Amino acid sequence: MNAKQIHRFVERYLDATGCAILEKSPAHFKVKLSPAADRELTNRPYYWSFVDRTGVEPETMTLLLVTDPAKYDAMTAGAKAGGGGDGQAAQAGGSGPAADGRQAAQTGGSGPAAQAVPPGARPEAQAGGAGSPAGAPGAAEQAGMAALSRSFGFVPAGIGARVPRDDLYFGSRRLEQLFAAARRGGRFVCLFQQPDERALHPYDSLPCTPWLGVNVKVGFVCDMKREELHAFGVSLATGAVVEGFFDRLQGMKLTPRLPANVHVTGASLSLKKAADLIEQALMRKLKAYDYGWAAAANERLKEELAQLAHYYEPLVESAGEGEKESIAAQYEARKEEIRWQLAPRVVAEVVNAGLFHLTGLA
Amino acid sequence: MHPIPRADRGAGGAGKSPHSSVEFVFDRSWVDELAERAARNGPWDDWTLFALAVEAERAKLVTSFDELQSLRCLPAFEPMPHQIATARKVLREMGGRAILADEVGLGKTIEAGLILKEYIVRGLVRRALILVPASLVLQWVRELNQKFGIPATAQKKAHTWHADFVVASIDTAKREPHRELLLSRDYDMLIVDEAHKLKNRKTSNYQFIQQLRKKYCLLLTATPVQNDMDELFNLITLLKPGQLGGQSEFVANFVADKRLPKNEDRLQEALSAVMIRNRRSDGGIAFTKRIVRNIEVKLSPEEKALYDAVTGFVRERYDESGRDLASMLSLVTLQREVCSSRDAVFVTLFNLFKKTAEDSPMRAKIWELVEFIRRIRANSKAEKALELIRETGDKTIVFTEYRATQEYLLQFLKQHGIHAVPYRGGMNRGKKDWMMDLFRGRAQVLVATEAGGEGINLQFCHHMINFDLPWNPMRVEQRIGRVHRLGQTNDVKIYNLYTTGTIEEHIVRLLHEKINLFEMVVGELDDILERLEREEQPLEQRLARLVLEAKGDADIRRGIDALGRSINRLRADAKRTASAGGPEAALPVLSVVPDGPDAAAEVRP
Repeated sequence: MNAKQIHRFVERYLDATGCAILEKSPAHFKVKLSPAADRELTNRPYYWSFVDRTGVEPETMTLLLVTDPAKYDAMTAGAKAGGGGDGQAAQAGGSGPAADGRQAAQTGGSGPAAQAVPPGARPEAQAGGAGSPAGAPGAAEQAGMAALSRSFGFVPAGIGARVPRDDLYFGSRRLEQLFAAARRGGRFVCLFQQPDERALHPYDSLPCTPWLGVNVKVGFVCDMKREELHAFGVSLATGAVVEGFFDRLQGMKLTPRLPANVHVTGASLSLKKAADLIEQALMRKLKAYDYGWAAAANERLKEELAQLAHYYEPLVESAGEGEKESIAAQYEARKEEIRWQLAPRVVAEVVNAGLFHLTGLA
Repeated sequence: MHPIPRADRGAGGAGKSPHSSVEFVFDRSWVDELAERAARNGPWDDWTLFALAVEAERAKLVTSFDELQSLRCLPAFEPMPHQIATARKVLREMGGRAILADEVGLGKTIEAGLILKEYIVRGLVRRALILVPASLVLQWVRELNQKFGIPATAQKKAHTWHADFVVASIDTAKREPHRELLLSRDYDMLIVDEAHKLKNRKTSNYQFIQQLRKKYCLLLTATPVQNDMDELFNLITLLKPGQLGGQSEFVANFVADKRLPKNEDRLQEALSAVMIRNRRSDGGIAFTKRIVRNIEVKLSPEEKALYDAVTGFVRERYDESGRDLASMLSLVTLQREVCSSRDAVFVTLFNLFKKTAEDSPMRAKIWELVEFIRRIRANSKAEKALELIRETGDKTIVFTEYRATQEYLLQFLKQHGIHAVPYRGGMNRGKKDWMMDLFRGRAQVLVATEAGGEGINLQFCHHMINFDLPWNPMRVEQRIGRVHRLGQTNDVKIYNLYTTGTIEEHIVRLLHEKINLFEMVVGELDDILERLEREEQPLEQRLARLVLEAKGDADIRRGIDALGRSINRLRADAKRTASAGGPEAALPVLSVVPDGPDAAAEVRP
C-alpha cells in the first residue's frame, strides 16, 4: 500500500465511522473521533466503561493521522518558517505537532486529561501554527499564563495543541489497528442492489436473487506461510458458485434498504448448504495445487523427530527412577513443539461474509 | 492449547484434505452467526467497512513463502544487508530456531527484531516472550516499538504477562509466581538476549528456559562459546536437542580435550545449521572513517598560575597523607578539572572547604586557590571550542566529564548565539528523549556529560569534541560509539582539546599516539583493558599514581611511554591468542573470546 492508498483507506474509514475531520491535506487528517471509532482505536476500556455506566457525555479523542510523513513535515516546516519571527506563541505552536505530539504518543497519553482542552488554548495554538502574528487576544493569553506560572511554577505552553501524532505507513501500529477495526466492524452485511431507476417503469417490480458472498483467506502453513484471498459467491436460488465475487460487487450500487420497485425471490438453499458448496469449490481448486512444499516440510519434520529420538531415547532409558518421568515429559514437549512448528496444513479462514440481493445475477 | 489451531469443523469439511500430505481446516464458525443475524434481520455491518476489511487483507497478504515481507513495513529505518541476510537465513533455512552470535555492535537486536516482525507479518507469531537482562528491558521495548512498530510491553505487574509481546528480565520470569504462569502458556516465539549465561544446565535459568514451550526460538549472544565444549553442547541442546548428537556421541566425535575440539569441519557444519555469526572483518559491513585531530590550547598566564597552584596543592596533600592513593583520587580529580574549566575546580574546592574543619590550616590554602580562580577572566578552551563549532557550522556533540563545565559551556555558547542543549545521566527518560529531539531539530550543539547507558544514537551528527578526556579509555570509546556506529553515513571527525604543559597533554599522547585508541574496534579495547587490570591496577589508578609521584615533566613522559608499551604488549598477546595456537584459541572457527569474569560483558554501542 502506498501513501495515496493509505490516505484513501483512512479517509473512507473515518467517513464510514462518522468521525469529524477538523483539518485535512493530501498528507494528513486531524480528526475528532466518533464514539464508535474512539472505542476501537484509543484503547481506553476503563474510560468507556465509565461512560457506559454513568451515562456522561463522552469526550472523544482528537488524533493527528499523518499519511505522508515526509510531505507533512515539509508542510509544517514551511508554516513554521513563515511564522518564525512572530514571537513565542508562533514558535510554540509551530513545533507543537511535531515534537510534542510524538512525546504524547510515546507516553501513551490517552487518558481523559490528554484531550481535556481548555477552550481558550486551541485557537491560540492553531493561530500560532498558521504563522499569524500574535494579536491582542494572544497577549492577554500570555499574561494569563504568566500569572498562572507565578502561582504554580512552570505552565507548559499550548497544552491544548497536544494531539497525539501517528505516522501511518504500511506496517505501523495505528494502521494495523485501522485494519483490525475495519475487519471487526465489517464482518456481516446484508445489501440490495439499487436498480438503474430511469430504466424502470414506475409500476414494474424487478426480481432480485439472494447470494451468499464469502471472502476466504487460505493459508498454506508449515514453519513458513503463503496466503491467498478468494471471494466466492453462491446463488441461494440456483446453487451456482462464482469466483471473484467481491470485485463484481464493487461495480454495483448497493444499499442496506430494500429499494422501491424491487422484490426478493425466495431462496432454495440454506446457508449451511451454501457454505458446503463453497467449501467444495475451494477444495476442487486446492486439489490442483502443487504440494511440494508440504512434502518437504514433512521430510524435515521426520528428520527432526528422528534427531530428537536419537537424543532423548537413550537418555530416558539410562535415567534413574526419579528423573525418568521428567525427561520423558521433556521429550514429549519437544516433539509437540516440532510438530507445532513444522506440520504442514492448509487453513481457510473467513474474513467476512454477507447476503447480497442482486438483480443482475441469477 | 493444542498446537495446531483447529477452527470449528462443520459436518461438510471434516477429514477431507486437498492432498494427502497436508491437514485441511475450513473455518465454519461464521455460518451460524450469519444465519442468526439473517433470522433476526440484523444488526448488519457497514458496507464500506466490509470493503475496507477485504482491502486490508489484500494489502497484508503474504504472497510468497520466501520473500521477506517485513521490509516493506519498515520505512522508519533500513536494516543493513548482513542483518537482512541473517533474517532470511533464519527464516528459510533454520525454520526460526537459531543462535544469533554476531560480534558486538553489528546489531543482533535488529536481526532479532526483523525476524520477529517477519513472523508477525506472516501471522505465524501472535505471542512472543523476550527475556533479557533487567538493564536492557526498556531499551528492547523502545527498539521494538520505534524501529519495528511491534507493540512490545515491559513486564511490570502480573497482568502485563498477558500482553502479546512481553519483554521481561529472566531473573523475574523464573521466580514464582511468574514461573508457573509462563510455563502454562505457549509462546509462538521466545527470544533470549545474552544467552551465553545459559551455558550451565544445572542453573535455574537454564532449566527454566528448557521448560518453556515455544515454536520459534532465538538465542542472542556475542560470545557463543567460552572455551568450553560442554557449554557449547548445552547451548545448542537448549535450541535443538540432538543437533550435535547425544552427550556421549558429542564427546566421542568432537571433543579432544575439555577445551579442544576435533573434527572441526564436521563440527562447523553441524553448528552452521543453527548458528549465524557475522563479523566486522567479513566485509560488506561498512563503517565510515574516524578522523582524529588533537587541538592544542595554550593556557592564559592566569590559568597556568591556577594549574601550577593546584598541582602544588595536590602534591603536598599526597606527601602528607603518606602516599595513600585511595584517599587521593578526589584530589587528582581537582587537577584534571583545572584543565576543563575554573567552574569545575571551584565546585570541588568549595565542597572540600566545607568538609575541612574550621580551624584547619587547609582552609587558608584552599582560599588561596580560590583567589587564583578569581583572577581568571576567560576560558581558553571554551573559546577554542566555539571556534571549532563555528568552523564546522554543523551539528556537534561536546563531551565533558564535569557537570560544572557543562553548565558553563551551555551558558557560554548561549552568549555567543549558539543553540545548545544539555544531556546527562541523571535526567529521566522523558527528558533525555526531549533533549535528543531538540538536538535533532533546532539545537546545533549537544553538551553531554554521559556517554554510557543506552538510547543515545546520534548517527545524524558526525562532529565530536572531547572538551576533556576521561582517563578510562573505555569511556572514550563509548563516547565515540554514540556517533560512530552502524548507520553513520559520514566520516566522523573527532577533536580532542588539550592544554599544553599539563597532564592532559600526556593523556592525549598516551591514548592517541601510544595505544592508538581512536582506531581500535570496541571488542579489542575491552579485552586489553581487562588484561591490564588482571596484571596490575586499572589504568586510571596507574595514571593517578604516575602524576602524583613524578618529579617533572620528563618523568611523566617516561612513565607514559612505559604504560603505552605494556598496553601494546597485551594487545599483541590478545591478537596472538585469538588467531592461532595456544589452548585458548581452541575454536578459531567461533572466534573464541578469552575467558575471564566479564569477558562476555557487552558494551552496547
